[in-house]
Amino acid sequence: MDIEGYNLPEDLYYEKDHYWVKADGDLLVMGMNDFAQKLAGKIVFVQLPEPGKALEAGKRFAKVESGKWLGKVNAPVNGELADVNEELEGNPGLINEDCYGKGWMYKIKPDNQADLGQLIHGAEAIRTWMLEEIAKFAKK
Amino acid sequence: MDLYLLGKVPWEDSQLIYHAMAELGREGLILLSPASPYVCIGFHQDAEHEVDLDFCRTNGIPVFRRDVGGGAVYLDGGQLFFQLVLPRGDARIPASKEAFYRKFLSPVVDVYRRLGIPAEYKPINDVIAGGRKISGSGVGEVGGCVVFVGNLIVDFNYGMMTRILKVPDEKFRDKVHKTLTENLSTIRRELGEERAAQWTEERLNALMIEAFGELVGPFQPKTPDDALRAKMDELGSVMLADAWLIQRRRPGAERNVKIRSGVHVVQKVHKCRGGLIRADFEVSDGRLAGVSISGDFFCYPAKKIQHLEAELEGRIVHEVREAIEAFYADNALETPGVGVGDWLAVFGG
Repeated sequence: MDIEGYNLPEDLYYEKDHYWVKADGDLLVMGMNDFAQKLAGKIVFVQLPEPGKALEAGKRFAKVESGKWLGKVNAPVNGELADVNEELEGNPGLINEDCYGKGWMYKIKPDNQADLGQLIHGAEAIRTWMLEEIAKFAKK
Repeated sequence: MDLYLLGKVPWEDSQLIYHAMAELGREGLILLSPASPYVCIGFHQDAEHEVDLDFCRTNGIPVFRRDVGGGAVYLDGGQLFFQLVLPRGDARIPASKEAFYRKFLSPVVDVYRRLGIPAEYKPINDVIAGGRKISGSGVGEVGGCVVFVGNLIVDFNYGMMTRILKVPDEKFRDKVHKTLTENLSTIRRELGEERAAQWTEERLNALMIEAFGELVGPFQPKTPDDALRAKMDELGSVMLADAWLIQRRRPGAERNVKIRSGVHVVQKVHKCRGGLIRADFEVSDGRLAGVSISGDFFCYPAKKIQHLEAELEGRIVHEVREAIEAFYADNALETPGVGVGDWLAVFGG
């Protein structure tokens, strides 16, 4: 759905730092949402850690850079890194081109798939959260 | 907020201190300058791809990978560093990156203006004067903190900056040197030797303290304590080791040296059905300049390549498709296995 010019598919789950998550069989797929990629500008680097890395919800497991800003990527749930999008190593701009498709970032094997329920989900919740975020980022 | 006014420090300390402060979760402003030159690369860079490590080794120039964004820079005592460490989530940190840079570069802009240099902020993180960059900066989220680092450029060694880079050939190096000289300025260049000499390191730092004080002050003067020194040593054992410096990153199919925001010197090599195209050019605020095409492909008549170079000169990047299509339509040009799509892969558009 479109929220003030940002595309936020309502079937996805979102964590507060603007990464989307969706179930894919036993795994979860994760990427940057449209709001974050637009604000970031051209993504120049995505760190792709070795699969197998243990992930703790809310803790940093990778880094991403745009606009000379090296930021953190936090795990949305507890689990293990199952796969990374190798295409991003040579072409991190895929996130800007297609953040919900070819620009996916990581696959995670969650300890508990039900943890998805702790993320932001559902049209109303997404809209409320996004409107607050847009207002916050508009502040100078 | 704590203020560390440290003057000239060993080059390692000029990097380790802010990483250590952030890892300890201590907020503060650090003002210092390295006692000897070194090269500092961004976290995402491949040291072997970006920097002529043999040259640096032979000439005793250390190379350091910082946990902060941005590219390779040659740093020395002609630059005065500021390093601001704030807890992540601090209310003083604006949500958007542009607002952050605008806010925390404003003291730097103010200081340059007080020297009589007409500096202004240019998104996303440049400070420019007369169209030339005059301060570099970058951000890293380290530990539980956001670290903002940058410099006042009193003097700059353009020759060494150009020399330490790994480049495909000397022609490319010359182009980087020329573009860098045209697009990066210093306090000495702006004010002239005599006026610049009046602004000692001490006086400049006093202005920085005053300007940053309005944003994040008042300050309590501090010197590094045992805990900070111990954390710096601990980080040094990792960050000064080759294993940290030599982290492989997959190089792209181009050599692209960013001079300032919107100004890049590029060499691209593109494989296509008809052979190999190599192009050297600059992109300056969205326009192509200094286009030079070579490689291994067939073009008849051969001199048309020079005409194509001239046709592309000064073009806005997103008009390249139109220009090349028109060039093929207007000229009896044969480039078997090299099509418009290949030129677009080289020049964008």
